[in-house]
Amino acid sequence: MSDAKAVADRLVKAKRLNALLTPPGELRKSLQLQAAAARPTGVLYGMPVAVKDNICTLDFTTTCGSRILEGYRSPYDATVITKLKAAGALIAGKTNCDEFAMGSSTEHSAYGRVVHPLDKTRVPGGSSGGSAALVGSGAVPAALGSDTGGSIRQPASFCGVVGIKPTYGRVSRYGLVAFGSSLDQIGVLGRSVHDAARVLSVISGRDPKDSTCEDRDPLRLPTVPESLQGFVIGLPREYFPPELDPAVRRACDRAVRLMKELGAAVREVSLPHTPYAVPAYYVIAPAEASSNLARFDGVRYGPRFDGAADLRSLYRSTRGQGFGPEVRRRILVGTYVLSAGYYDAYYRRAQQMRALIAQDFRNVFDRGVDLLFTPTTPTPAFKAGEKLADPVAMYVSDIFTVTANLAGLPAISLPIGRAKGLPLGGQLIGQAFLEDEMLEAAYALERVVPATDEA
Amino acid sequence: MSVTRDEVLRIAQLAELDVDEDTLPVLAEQMSRILDYVAQLSAVPASETLKPYVPGPDAIRFRPDEVNPWPLAAGPEKFAPAFKDGFFVVPKLGQFE
Repeated sequence: MSDAKAVADRLVKAKRLNALLTPPGELRKSLQLQAAAARPTGVLYGMPVAVKDNICTLDFTTTCGSRILEGYRSPYDATVITKLKAAGALIAGKTNCDEFAMGSSTEHSAYGRVVHPLDKTRVPGGSSGGSAALVGSGAVPAALGSDTGGSIRQPASFCGVVGIKPTYGRVSRYGLVAFGSSLDQIGVLGRSVHDAARVLSVISGRDPKDSTCEDRDPLRLPTVPESLQGFVIGLPREYFPPELDPAVRRACDRAVRLMKELGAAVREVSLPHTPYAVPAYYVIAPAEASSNLARFDGVRYGPRFDGAADLRSLYRSTRGQGFGPEVRRRILVGTYVLSAGYYDAYYRRAQQMRALIAQDFRNVFDRGVDLLFTPTTPTPAFKAGEKLADPVAMYVSDIFTVTANLAGLPAISLPIGRAKGLPLGGQLIGQAFLEDEMLEAAYALERVVPATDEA
Repeated sequence: MSVTRDEVLRIAQLAELDVDEDTLPVLAEQMSRILDYVAQLSAVPASETLKPYVPGPDAIRFRPDEVNPWPLAAGPEKFAPAFKDGFFVVPKLGQFE
């Protein structure tokens, strides 16, 4: 059981990262109350877990990194929060993120950008950048994030921590502010595979309040395997293009060699529709976002900006002033691809592409492959401001992560080396609801890979 | 394909979103870039038979169609001006002699 004051001190010390949105005074008070009320028999008793600010909490405000929800306090806890509290964990404040989880750098927050824990000129990735930076700096052992197109795994890779996106339907989304409902999953960032897996097993399992959450028992943690004997690991050739950053390639090659030494059989495989994943994602996600974000109109949610002559101009001025540029862009693109005349050309095509991408994965898994290994990101953390002017350049950095969301599969990113001091991540993609297998391989790889050595 | 200024305005109206005059040219340019990029999808021949993907449980479970009491997020005493012994306290409506 860590002392509430020590937990708060560590979080306040990480202030320079701008990763935590909860004011220090409020955090200290809440941690003390929570520590006093926590159940000593809980499996996470005393473990501080920071929470991304798009997950509803009774104790803290939930702003989603947006001006439109400034000061908003949810009337209920998300199911994952209820489960964490019941397990004795301490909710260690709310973490900064890209506005409504839209972004890959945590530069799109209305509350300022998050700083990379190892290099202040760089981004921590996003959209769960605040959660990743806090775990990366050692302020908390684990944090919750949400992953719609890579928003847990990409920042985990940039900050040198572990990030798990579970199977779609493994964790309840009740209380997660919706962005792309068919893609969103709550997941965990942790110091180690075990820290992240422990939290995941607590938050997983059935929930009658979310009809897309599968009727299954919580995830059972596997034991750490002695070897990877019997595992067949596929390397999809589309994820190792000739232009891949050489350091990323070296780190992946080293990880593959280590997995072979542990007894895994490694095979090259193909997921032929991979090049279309990012285009399909940037049709489907904005389309769902444009519909989900309709509720922020100054009447149902959000402040009313004064001076509106009638109801529609009230909606328009609230939304126009309340949303930041990236959210506005995505709402407009989403509205465009769903509008009459364009639906078939964009949205329907994208949904069909999604079916083909999911089929690619099934074909590979049907041929005896247990897991896929890929780089998590094409490059290490990039410089702040580098991709802000060009949305497409930012989108393309999700290329290795969006496929798991499109196909609803579980995936984990873990540190596999460094490039000039910056962390690099490797990704294991598993089969639906076989997180235990994926975690076994991750445990084994984590034990042998020199995660902080140059690749 | 390129999106015109007028198209951005029309879409913004559909999305109930005020757009600044000053930002319109940049927005039109960025939307055009994004839509050009996602247009790669048309390189794959359209199929009439291919079913769109549905995530999650194979068939979303239906709940039994019955009325259940659902607890309020906050108790009635939270939003009543006055509440006593499980009842709302209201002003007297009339006096009887």
